This record gives sequence, structure tokens and C-alpha cells, in this order.
Amino acid sequence: MTIPSDPSMPSEPSKEAKMSDRPEARERARHVEHPVNDAPGRPQLAHHLDEVKPPSTEEILRVEGLTVNFPTDDGVVQAVRGVSYAVREREVLGIVGESGSGKSVSSMAVMGLLPKSARISGKIIYRGNDVLKMSPKEQRSLRGRKIGMIFQDPMTALNPVYTIGDQLAEAVLSHETVPRKHAMSRAEEMLALVGIPQPKQRLRSYPHEFSGGMRQRAMIAMAVINNPDVIIADEPTTALDVTVQAQILEKLLEVKDEVNSAIILITHDLGVVAGTAHRVLVMYAGKPVEVGETDEVFYRTRMPYTAGLLGSIPALETASGERLRPIKGTPPSLINLPPGCPFSPRCPLATDVCIESEPPLAATDALDHLAACHHWDQLAESDDPTVFFRAESEVGR
Amino acid sequence: MSTETSQPNPARGTPSDAAEGMSVVARTQGQIIRRRFFRHRAAIGGMITLGAVIILAYSSIGFGPFPGWWDKTYYSTASVVDGGRPTLSLLPSFLGGKGLRWGEHPFGQDNVGIDYFALVMRGTQQSLVVAFLIGIVSTAIGASVGATAGFFRGRTEAVLMRATDVIIAIPTLIFAAILAAAAGRAGIVALGLAIGAVTWTGLARLVRGEFLSLREKEFVEAARAAGTKSRRIIFKHIMPNTVGVIIVSATLAIAGGILLETALSYLGLGVRAPDVSLGSLISLYETAMPTRPWLFWWPGIFIVAIALSVNFIGDGLRDAFDPRQTRVRD
Amino acid sequence: MAVFMARRLVISIFTLLAASFIVFWGTSIAGDPMADLRGLQDEGQAQQQMMARRERMNLDVPVILRYFLWLGDLFTGDLGVNKFGQSVSGILAPAVSATLQLVIAATVLAIVLGVTIGIVSALRQYSGFDYTLTFAAFLFFSLPVFWVAVMLKQFGAIKFNDWLRDPTIPLPVILVFAVLSGLAWMAIAGGSRQRRLTALGVAFVATAGLLWTLSETGWFSDPGLGVIAVLVLAFGSAAGVTFLIAGFRHRPPLFAALATAAVGFVFYLASEPILEEPNWGLIFLLALVAIAVGLGIGYLLGGLQRRQAMAVGAVTAILVGGIIFVDYMLQSYGDYYGRVRGRPISTIGASTPNFRGGFWESGLDSAGHLILPTMALLLISFATYTRYTRASMLEVMNQDYVRTARSKGLTERTTVTKHAFRNALIPVTTLMAFDFGAVIGGAVITERVFGWQGMGFMFIKGLQDVDPPPVMAFFLIAGGSIVVFNMLADIAYAYLDPRIRVS
Ligand SMILES: Nc1ncnc2c1ncn2[C@@H]1O[C@H](COP(=O)(O)OP(=O)(O)OP(=O)(O)O)[C@@H](O)[C@H]1O
Ligand code: SF4
Ligand SMILES: [Mg+2]
Repeated sequence: MTIPSDPSMPSEPSKEAKMSDRPEARERARHVEHPVNDAPGRPQLAHHLDEVKPPSTEEILRVEGLTVNFPTDDGVVQAVRGVSYAVREREVLGIVGESGSGKSVSSMAVMGLLPKSARISGKIIYRGNDVLKMSPKEQRSLRGRKIGMIFQDPMTALNPVYTIGDQLAEAVLSHETVPRKHAMSRAEEMLALVGIPQPKQRLRSYPHEFSGGMRQRAMIAMAVINNPDVIIADEPTTALDVTVQAQILEKLLEVKDEVNSAIILITHDLGVVAGTAHRVLVMYAGKPVEVGETDEVFYRTRMPYTAGLLGSIPALETASGERLRPIKGTPPSLINLPPGCPFSPRCPLATDVCIESEPPLAATDALDHLAACHHWDQLAESDDPTVFFRAESEVGR
Repeated sequence: MSTETSQPNPARGTPSDAAEGMSVVARTQGQIIRRRFFRHRAAIGGMITLGAVIILAYSSIGFGPFPGWWDKTYYSTASVVDGGRPTLSLLPSFLGGKGLRWGEHPFGQDNVGIDYFALVMRGTQQSLVVAFLIGIVSTAIGASVGATAGFFRGRTEAVLMRATDVIIAIPTLIFAAILAAAAGRAGIVALGLAIGAVTWTGLARLVRGEFLSLREKEFVEAARAAGTKSRRIIFKHIMPNTVGVIIVSATLAIAGGILLETALSYLGLGVRAPDVSLGSLISLYETAMPTRPWLFWWPGIFIVAIALSVNFIGDGLRDAFDPRQTRVRD
Repeated sequence: MAVFMARRLVISIFTLLAASFIVFWGTSIAGDPMADLRGLQDEGQAQQQMMARRERMNLDVPVILRYFLWLGDLFTGDLGVNKFGQSVSGILAPAVSATLQLVIAATVLAIVLGVTIGIVSALRQYSGFDYTLTFAAFLFFSLPVFWVAVMLKQFGAIKFNDWLRDPTIPLPVILVFAVLSGLAWMAIAGGSRQRRLTALGVAFVATAGLLWTLSETGWFSDPGLGVIAVLVLAFGSAAGVTFLIAGFRHRPPLFAALATAAVGFVFYLASEPILEEPNWGLIFLLALVAIAVGLGIGYLLGGLQRRQAMAVGAVTAILVGGIIFVDYMLQSYGDYYGRVRGRPISTIGASTPNFRGGFWESGLDSAGHLILPTMALLLISFATYTRYTRASMLEVMNQDYVRTARSKGLTERTTVTKHAFRNALIPVTTLMAFDFGAVIGGAVITERVFGWQGMGFMFIKGLQDVDPPPVMAFFLIAGGSIVVFNMLADIAYAYLDPRIRVS
């Protein structure tokens, strides 16, 4: 397995330079970018990445060669098989991938929230210290104070029997010895920050008195109440309706700048990543298969799986008027993974070498754009990587 | 770090689900259930024990016109040998016991010299019959009431569920005692029917709940939209999905049934003299506890063996049908 | 909420009325009410008595009408007469209190023990403790209550009283108990190997040492706590309560607990004149004072953790009060032991006949009579509560909000005691309502085994005599207390779960 020397180094070539390098890519970019952001059912982001503060160069969290196994009755589930990434202050890292690809498990490992049965190895380095080597007490003091987390389903993530104010204040009180009143006023500030009207009254509400969007706002408030360095947002908008999704994402970006934290944004919605993330990490079967700047990954895709994901955005019409098709088949079982590229059974480009050996995550034609594919150059040669999936589905018809 | 919950989070799909979904040979529902059941060791132990008890009870003293292999009857008296002590010995002689021996009166004799083994076997037969009757009757009533209420909703449901509430308002043992007071005189079949008629309420509520949720499922909607008759929808589409709940609760009804019958017989309201059940035997000989304790022990041991086996079988079945369901004894 | 409860109450009352008709009808057809007179030698007298009874029981009118006659009487507050002409309320009065004491004691104990053990079992899922308890629960589900009650009578009373003549515990028994306690604590402690082994060792030594000391000093022949034990127990419970409610991260709650324990101890030293011969009213008053003192100390010493400190103070105060109460009761053990001729655990009845004693002695007398029937009854509910709580707790521990609580960096203790515990209790309240009926049924059986002349006896006798009025009186009390218990469960539910408070 190859671990990239440093996938987090800021990439030098500017966006403009890249675009002008390859006119055809730019041409296609219009087709892809607009559909991704304008397709019906996509959140409309008023607040774009361009408008938020740029990331600094200070690295906060680095994950190196993280693996997570779960021993079970049926065998060992290899949920995460070597994930490496780093995030810097104010940076947004998007992690995308199909259901079951290990996105949640890898971020829960960072939080130290995995069940005891999990076997974790690798390094999780927070500001120079390995979290996995810390005592439970030190780990606890990071959780919620330095690393905050927002979960997917706001309907179930808040405790139904305590008030919002109580649950927010508790996050403060568990790390600081301050009067309760003080914690409550912090909670009130945070509710105001995430855009909940009448925050003072709302402190006394119970979660069931909030709408889904408001609960997710409250979750954001809870995650940032201690000014964390990193916010891990695990599919923060999946359970919400489209208009609310956009508001929540926008709020998240706004809050990030307020507290100067990095965001790890987990989602399977490429549209969300396109508008919000500086860099993207694509996961498949527990491994990163493509890493790079968001535009790089979107416009110069170097891994068929990513191309397939781009192609499977629903109700998307391409320039030629063909309908895009979702990737066929299902991800492999994480118990007893066969050798070879885990994507090979579903990959239109698969050849014998793919079945025999698993491709390492390696550099491609662009700096800091890594992909795990034996045939990334074929994608580089084609105008539109999603074309392979289209062709295949038409043949299939 | 976090405290364990080493159970896989069901929301993520258990790994075995994943493994099964991926495997090439898809197993049928029935095979999966059977496999899970046979993995439950306590349930297998329960099945073996229960089978052994049933065979012992019926083969030893026989039933109806069929004679058994045991040469004594549960009604003929004889002279009391050795103070009526049991001759059964399970401790081999090299361990200081009397060797593995069955003897003349394995469970001893009562004060008039009746062979206690024969008597306990008779009691076991009667208790088993009543327990199984209770299981069948209460399951039949509970499933029908629950299904009717859950499927037809509206007025039917309101009436049936109110009626169920009324029955629940009377503690089970009290209600069973009242019905058994009359029915017990009429023999064990009447007794089983009477007790079965008051123990179905829990199942009715469960089945109704299942029906209410299944009604809303797509496949039922589809069947209804296609103009399928209600009866067909119930039997073809909904019933198969509630089988698990019903079978499990039938098992537990049998376990509860034997405890209820023996309790009533102990109180003198169930199986009446001259007939015997495991409960009435205990009531007859409870005062013998200090002097001839075996008269008290044997019937109790058989009750516990039967109830425990059935409970374990029920647990195995529940695991097999639905690993996440929880249980309450009513 | 009030509207909701009122609605429930009205529905319950109608349900109870409908049920009462079924009970009346069932009892009336249970057999021949004249059975006892038919065998009489003197034909003429039998005829006469039958006439009288027919008149008294309204046997000439249909059952439905008889029911309404009974119901009419009930509304005027008259429970009627039994078939021998005795007033039912006269028989009922002494029966009610004994039976209700038994049923309530068993239920409260089952809830407290069952919930506690269920939670520990869930938190230590798949440990030896958990497996043992699971097996025990299945065994309890399968044990006939009457059989166990007879066993308890034999071993818990007769043999135990015999043993009390020379109360020494043989060494092997001490060792077995010590090993069992060691293993249990090892599983409960959980965590790292070292931690578990320490728990094993400490529990083994403590148990063995305690039992050996008790045995050698002949403690069982005159059990008592004494100043030292009260002191140790008071401060021990202060520490325990602090651990459970507030943890040791902040000092103030611990100080509040210790101060409360100290105040309690000082009170204990000076309490002789007040507690020499108290009554229940005084005990109740003292309990209130204790709570107030605990709250006050928590308020004063609480600092930034005032809320927690007040809770800790109040709970500690109650526990210390309980310890003092037990100590006083045991002080009169010697006298009591003599008066019951050395057989303190009773097998028959709800109290020693013609026993007259002070507050503490008659308290001991009730306790001695209650203990075994309560244990037998516990069997019915205890296993149910453990299993149910365990399942509920396991489910809650897997909920998203528990994960959220952890992600905030709360300690495991706070996560469990604050976030999981309260949610896990919500489904248990519904079980409470449901289970109470089963306990009343069980009380009928236990009363019979222990020869209590309680309500259960009245019910069985009425049923066997085919005599509705006593059976109906029993049912009214039983059904009524079930309704009351249901309402308590509703209140507990509403307290625990804000989602239903509004409706
Ligand atoms: N406690 C566990 N025991 C066994 N396997 C587990 C456990 N937790 C997760 N897994 C497995 O790990 C794999 C990765 O799960 P993960 O939750 O990280 O997926 P995900 O990428 O977040 O998917 P989704 O988009 O659906 O949230 C899954 O196959 C899952 O079955
Ligand atoms: S390595 Fe082969 S199978 Fe895997 S993604 Fe690349 S082309 Fe497809
Ligand atoms: Mg996930």
C-alpha cells in the first residue's frame, strides 16, 4: 500500500491556470458544473466557497494509514483499510462514497466513538499528538472541545428528554468549570449564531418542539459551542429537505469562519461537495480511491468510480442529450475481500491486471491529485470520463 | 473511549446480513430461520429435555388404551417399603453412591404406598395436555382477535380492543381462577379451554400492532389496489409476516400455561381429585416437606424442567425469527 | 396532562365496571352455593338454611339482576354480606392492609432491584454476570411461585430459625460466598484486566472477612449496627451517591454528601430521646426534615455544581435516615427474639397473634412475617423487570443521542446516568402498570402458602363457596389498586418523557 507522502500540501497551480491548460476540460466543466449545482433537487448555495475565508497553511488534523476492523461471527469486517488525509485551519475536506464505504467508521475513529470491539490501527495526529496513544481522559477532553461532530439524523441525535439549552450547556460544562448561567448564555449565543430566532426562549424547548432544520442547527451549535478546531459533519443534510439543506450548509460555512475551524464534510451527495469543499477524498470499499482539489477531482477525474458517481447524479442531461446511468452492481463484501481492485467487478475499464492486483493510491498527471487506478491514463485521455458508464449502459440495454 | 455495545448497529445492517446478501447462494427465509434456531444451544437443550419428558410421561404408564412399560399404576396402593424412600440412584458406586439404579420405586411411594413415579408421570401427562391446550386456544383467539382488529380498523377494532382492555383489567390469575372454578370440575379439557380463554390478550395486542404496521406496507397497498379480497390479503400477504410473532408467543403461552395450571391446581381450582396434576401433587404433599421431601421435590422439578425447556425453545424461536424483539412475561 | 389523566381515569373506571360484571357472573356460575348444606343430616334444618340463603343471595332473580342489586348497594357504600350473613366490609378491613403491604413491598423491591440489575447487566453485556443473570431470569420465569414459597418456608424460616440458635457459618460456605461475590464484582467492574482482577480480590477479601467476622462474633444471634457500622455506612453511602449522581470531578458535591452524612451521624448520636418510641407520623416528618437538610447543605456547599450537590445531599440524607431507622429497629431485636421464643422468621400469618409491642418491636414483627412472602412474590416480577430494563437499556445505548452525548466529551458516567438511564426508564413505566396485576395474582398464591388471612384468602374462599360478595370486594380493591398504579405509572411516564406532557 502506498501512502502519499503528503496529500495535504497546498497545490500550487491556480485554478485559472489549470482551466486554460485544457480547453476541452473547461468546455466540459460547464456541462458538469451547471448540472451539478443547478439540477432540480440540488441545494442552492448562496454562500459559495469563494466568499468564505481561505484556509491557512496550518495543519490541524492528520490521519495516516488508518485501518478499522470489526471481528464478527462471520469473519473480520475490514471497514476501513488505510485512510490518510490532513486538514488545515478553515479548510473544508469533502469525503464522498457509497453507503458502506467506511466514511462514518473512519470519522468515528477520529472521535474515539467506535464500539469497543473495533480494532483500530494507524495514526490520528491532532496538532502533533497521536490521539490513539492518548489516555481515555485526554481523548475525552478532545472530544467536543477540539473536535466537534454533527450527525446525519437530527431527529434522533438529540436527547428527547432534556431541553436544548441543557444539552448545549452540558457541552460547555463538561470541559470547563464555569457557572451554569454562563454556559447557558453561551448556548444562547450559539443558537443565535446558527440562526435560530428567539434563542433565549428556545433554550427551554425540547427537541420535539423543533423542526428538523432547527434541530440540525442546534446540532451545529452544539458542535461548535467550544470553538473546536475541527468539525466533522457526517452527512449533515441528508435527512433534510432541499431548501433546508442549502441553509444548513451555508450556516456551516459561516460558522466555520466564525470559529476558524476546519470541516470534514462527509456525504454521498456530490452536489454538496462541489459547492462547499476545498478538497475531496473519494472512498470505495474502505479505501480512498481518489484525492485532490475539488475542481481537479470533478473536472479531471482519474478514477472510474468517481466518474461513475458523477455520472449517477439523477435527472442529469448531458450535452449530447443522453441520460446518465448509475453504476451497476453493489460494493463488495468487506469480509474476505478478493485480491485486485475492489471496483473491478463494476468497472467498465477493468482488465486482467485489475483483477490480479489492487492499484495503490498514486500520483497522477496533476500535482496532488492521487488516484487508485491502473488505467487512470485512459480517463485522462478521454474528454468526459462519465462516457464509459454511458456507453456501458447503452450496451446493456 | 466509548463503552462497548459490541452488537453491530442495526441501522448499519449487521455484518452477517451483509455477508448473506453478498453470498452467491441466496438462502430462503426458512433456511435462515432454521439455521439461526439451531445455533441457539439452550433452545436445542430445551427441545431435547421437553421431548424426553413427553416420551417418558407417555411411554411409562401408557395412555388411553395403550399400556406403558412401567409395571405400576398411579392408583393402586401397596405396602410402603423403606418409609417410601426413592430407590432411584444416579451416583455411581465408585463415587460413594449406590450405583446407577432405577429400583422398585424410583421416586418413592406416598403414604398409602402408591408408586410415586407413576403418580408424577400421570400428573405430567395431565399438566402437559392442559398446557398445550392453553397454548393452542390462547394463540387461536389472540391471533384472530388481533388480526381482525388490526385489519378492519374502525368500529370493529374499537369494540375488540375495548373488550381486550376489560379482560386485561382482571389479573390473569384471578380471571383464570374464576373460570377454572367451574371448568375444573368438568375435566382437564374444559380447564385448558377456560384458561386459554383468558391468556390471549397479550398476543392480540401484538398481532394487532403487527397488522397495523403491515397494512401500511407497499405490498399490501398494491394487493389492495389490485382489488384483492380482504380475506386473501390477510391470509396471503399479512399472516405470513406475523407467523414469527405468533409462533414465539404460542410457545411462551405454553410455558405460562403450565405455570398457571399448576398454580390453580395447587389452589384447588384446577385439576381436581381423584385426578392429579403436577400442581395438585405439590399441594397434596407440601406438608410432607420436612418428613418426606421427595414427595414435594419431584413434581416441582418436572414443572421447572418443562417450563424452562419451553421458555428456552421460545427464546431460540424469537432469535430465529427476529433477533431484535424483546420479551416480557405477562 | 391533567385532561389526559382524567380521561384515562374515566375509561379505567368504565373498564373496571365491565370487568366487575364478568367477575360477578363467573363467580355465580362457579358451582352450587348450597353444596355445603346438601349433606346435612337434619333435612329440616338444611331446608331452612337453604331458604334463608336463597333469600340472602337473591338466588331467585337472574344473575344480571343480582349484579345490579350488588352494584346498587355498592353505590350506597355497602359491600353486602357473604352467604353466611357476615358483613363483607368487616372481613375486608383487616385483610386489606396486610395484603397491600405485601404487594407494594414486593413491587417496589422488584422495581428497584430489577431496574438496577438490568442496567448493570446491559452495561456489561456478554460478561459472565450478564450470562448468569440471563440464565437466572429464565429460571425465574419457569419457577412455580407456590413451589418456591414452600421451599422458602422450609429453608428460609424453619431451617434458618434452627440455625439462629448457633449462628456460625462454616468456612467452606464463607469461601463459596466470597468467590461468588468476587466473580460478580469482577464482571460488574469491567474495564481493563487489572481493574477486574482488583475488583475480584477486593470483593473476595471483603466478603470473606465480613462473613467471618459476623460468624465469629455471633452477630446473627443479636444483629445490630452500632455506632461504628452506622458511621461507616453513612459515609460509604455518601461516597456512593456522589459517584452515581455527580462523579468526583468536582469537589463540592462530594463535600455536600460528606457534610450531610456527618450531620446525620451527629443527629444519630443525639437521637435517643426522639426515636425511643416514635410513630409513623414522626418518622415521616423526620424524613422530610432530612431531605430539607440535605438540600440546604447542597445549596450552601454546591458552588458551581449547586444543582448536583443538592440532589446528592437529599439522596444521602434519605439513605442515612434509612440506616438510622434500621439501626433502631435492630436495637430491639434482642427483646423481640425472646418474645417469639427464638423464631423470628415466621411461616404463618401476617403478624404474631396477640403480639403487643412498641413501635420498633411491632415493626420487627411485621418485617419477620413479610420477608418470605415478599421474596416469593419478588420472583414473579424481578426477572421481568431485569429483562425488560436490560433490553431497554441496550436499545437506548445504541441510540444516536447517546453517541451525541459521547461526542460532546461527556464522561461515560454522565452519558449513562444522565442520557441513557432516563430514556431507558420510559418503557419500564408501562411495564409497571402491567406487572402490578400479576403481582396481585401472585399474592393470592403466596398468601395461601403462608397461611395469611388476607384478601387472597377471602377471594379463594369466596370462589370455592360460590359466594360473589367477598370475591367482588377483593376484585374492587385489586382492580382499584391496579388503576391507581396505572395512574402512578402515567405520572412517572409524563415526568420522564416531555413529549407526552403537552397532550
Ligand atoms: N460495529 C460494527 N461492526 C461490524 N461492522 C461494522 C460496524 N460498524 C460499521 N460496520 C461496517 O463497516 C462498513 C462501513 O460503514 P460506514 O458506516 O463507515 O459506512 P458509510 O460510508 O458511512 O455509509 P453511509 O453512507 O451509509 O453512512 C459497513 O460495511 C458496515 O457494515
Ligand atoms: S484499477 Fe481497473 S478496475 Fe479498478 S478502477 Fe481502475 S480500471 Fe477499474
Ligand atoms: Mg455513514
